[in-house]
Amino acid sequence: MKSQESLQPDSLTEAMRLALLRADPALSRFDPLPRILSFDNFARGHCGWSQLVGNYEDDLDTMLPGYAQHTSAMLSTLGHWDAGSHGGMDSSYALKIATRPVAGARNVAIKRHTFRKRGPIRFEMYFTFKPEATELRLSETDVRSIGFLFDLQGGDGDASGDRVMPHLRFLNALDGQHLQKWQYKPETERIIPIGTDNKTISHYHLAPEGWLDLPGGAQRLCYNEIPTKVNWTYLCFDFDLESMTALGLRCNDRSFDLSGFESIRIPAMKNLWCMLNFCLFAETDVAKRAFLYVDSICISGDF
Amino acid sequence: MLPENITAIVSRNERWCGEAASEPYEAGWAREAIFFVRALKQPVGPPAKAWVEISPDGMHWLREGTEFELPGERDGLAAARLTRFGNWLRIAARFENGAECTVLVTLHLKA
Repeated sequence: MKSQESLQPDSLTEAMRLALLRADPALSRFDPLPRILSFDNFARGHCGWSQLVGNYEDDLDTMLPGYAQHTSAMLSTLGHWDAGSHGGMDSSYALKIATRPVAGARNVAIKRHTFRKRGPIRFEMYFTFKPEATELRLSETDVRSIGFLFDLQGGDGDASGDRVMPHLRFLNALDGQHLQKWQYKPETERIIPIGTDNKTISHYHLAPEGWLDLPGGAQRLCYNEIPTKVNWTYLCFDFDLESMTALGLRCNDRSFDLSGFESIRIPAMKNLWCMLNFCLFAETDVAKRAFLYVDSICISGDF
Repeated sequence: MLPENITAIVSRNERWCGEAASEPYEAGWAREAIFFVRALKQPVGPPAKAWVEISPDGMHWLREGTEFELPGERDGLAAARLTRFGNWLRIAARFENGAECTVLVTLHLKA
C-alpha cells in the first residue's frame, strides 16, 4: 500500500480535478476543496436540511421560546403573486426558510454531520432573501438578517474538545434602519438546565443580543427593485477544524478579513464528539414573514 | 430514484383558540398530502371545527373543501387527506369562546 504522502495530490491531479469540476455544470459554479461532503440541489429534496428543534425533557413546554418558534423548511419555486414562479438557478426549486410574521421572529434549518478529520472545511451556497410580498412597496428593510452558523466539537480523544460555534449574519436592517453589514457573535446566552434528570441543557445562541460588526464588513447586496424580484448571491466560508478558527468569508465579489472574528466557545458536551453541524437562519424586522431561499450548497473538506 | 416524501412539522406545541391557522407550507412538488393534528394537552371546551385552505400566493386563502374536527382528548388524532391542492397549504380552525387545544400539526407530503 502506498504511503499517505505519496497519495497527496500533485499539480497534475489537482489540474485534472479542477478541469472535471469546471466541466460539470452542477459543480462548476463552486470552488470545493478536494473532498465533497455533500452537494445539495433542492430539486432532489431537502438533502438533510431539517428543522432545528430545541431541547426538552418530559414536556415540550420546557423548550426555550427561541426554539419553539421554529418550523420546517420547505421546497419552493419562489412563487410570486404578480409574476408566478421565479425558480432556482438550474432547477425549479430552492430550499426556503420562512419566519413567522412577528417582528424579530427567526427560523433555522440544520444539517447534521460528524467529521472524519480535523482540517479545513468549506461551506459554499447560492442564496437570496426577501420579505413576504404583502405590500406594494420596495420593503428593503423588512428582512432583519440572514445568516449561518456551524456547531462543532472536537473528538473524544482530542486534548481540547471545546464546543465551537462560529456565527455570521448579514444584518440587512434593524428597527427600520438599512444597515447592510456582516456581523459575528462571540458569546452565547446563559446555559439553562432542561428538566429534572440533569442530562439536558439548552442555550439560545441565536438570541438578538451580542452581535458585533465584522471589521470592514459593510456590503450592499443585490436586492432588486420590487419584493418579488430576486437575484442569487454566492457565499463561501472557510473554517479549520484543527485550530477551530475561521479562515475566510467571501460573498460575491468581496472577501472579508476574519482576523477579528471570534466563534462562540463553550465547554465540551458529553454527547457531541466530532459534531459537524451547519445551520441557516432568517430573521424578520417587522410583522411580516422573512424568507431565506437557498438554491444549492456545497460542503467540502481537505482530507 | 425513490419518489420524494417529507414529514414537516408546521405547528408544534401551539395553543390554539379563537381563530387559528398553521403557518403556510409550499407543497407544489407533492401529489398527495395528509395533515395530522395531535392534541398535546387535554383540550378545553368543545372540539373545534377545522378545515384545509389553499392559496394562489401564500397570502390569500380560501377553503379547499375538506373539513374535520380537532381531537377532543389529549393525544387524540385528527387527519385530513388531500390530492389536489396546487402549491400552498395550511389548516385553519375556529374555537368557541373559552375553548382551546394545544396542537402538534404534522404534514406528510409524497411525490
